[in-house]
Amino acid sequence: MTDKRELLRHTVATLAYRGGKAVADAPKGFAEFRANESTRTPGQILAHIGDLLDWGLSTARGEQAWHDSTPRAWDDEILRFFAALEAFDCYLASDDELHAPEEKLFQGPVADALTHVGQIAILRRMAGGPIRGENYFRAEIEAGRVGADQALPRVEFD
Amino acid sequence: MEDRRKLLNHFLAALAYRTQKALREAPGDFGSFRVGEGVRTPAELVRHMASVLGYARTFFVGGHYRPEPLVSFAEEIQRFHEVLGLLAQHLRDGDPMLEGMTEERLLQGPFSDAMTHAGQLALLRRLAGAPVPPENFIVAEIREERLGPDQAQPVSPDKEWPEAPHGWKP
Repeated sequence: MTDKRELLRHTVATLAYRGGKAVADAPKGFAEFRANESTRTPGQILAHIGDLLDWGLSTARGEQAWHDSTPRAWDDEILRFFAALEAFDCYLASDDELHAPEEKLFQGPVADALTHVGQIAILRRMAGGPIRGENYFRAEIEAGRVGADQALPRVEFD
Repeated sequence: MEDRRKLLNHFLAALAYRTQKALREAPGDFGSFRVGEGVRTPAELVRHMASVLGYARTFFVGGHYRPEPLVSFAEEIQRFHEVLGLLAQHLRDGDPMLEGMTEERLLQGPFSDAMTHAGQLALLRRLAGAPVPPENFIVAEIREERLGPDQAQPVSPDKEWPEAPHGWKP
């Protein structure tokens, strides 16, 4: 595997870790929290992240396809998030050809998903259930660890 | 340049692009827009982004980095791009990292931190009543050497925008 492909997998693992933290233990009703009438709800944002990851996988496979999904129940959407990460990472980990450069896969679906994780985090704060700060330098993040079973934070702060 | 560092530099270029997209044509008072108690203003967010990138840079040059608040939002944005550019230069030059730092940890820490905050800037734009139009980022003109405030216009802006503000035209 090329170094760039391996680092892209690390970015996907980072997305799993940070995304997992942003959605875990959310306040009741958070999926439907609406900061104002024109913003997406967290449930809609998480569904969009799932769509982005599916799109990333389809692009990597050379059969680029976009699909707008209907948001599921929050817990189901979290399961879909990790399932989409695992499918994407599984392809990246394989010997199959990447039909788009790592840079493009990063700047499109992966970076987009990271920005949306940041949005869920700020909505958590607005909804009265903020996530704790963390020194992510020290977080236990490793390529391939993209499922729901993420490591516990090593250094958190309020 | 070594491949992993090339991808990190592309990460920084994407960060510059997305930050500018979130800030371009923002309302004049956007820097001080505060949506709620305990939520950073855009100016505070941009300063924090400079701070995490400056912190990352200390793993090349040593010391500490704590940016003081600047007078204007424009200056905060300028400083953010300057710090980003300095960090990218270390990557381009192949400079060694201190304290056992690795490319992976830079990526999972400050680089990703800053990217999540770029997303928050975009959300604040929407909450401030001046949303950012969507585009297909995979075809955006993002280049490793383009790290300043002068970023490319979208190559493929969305033709449909269901949540567009009144009067928006593609």
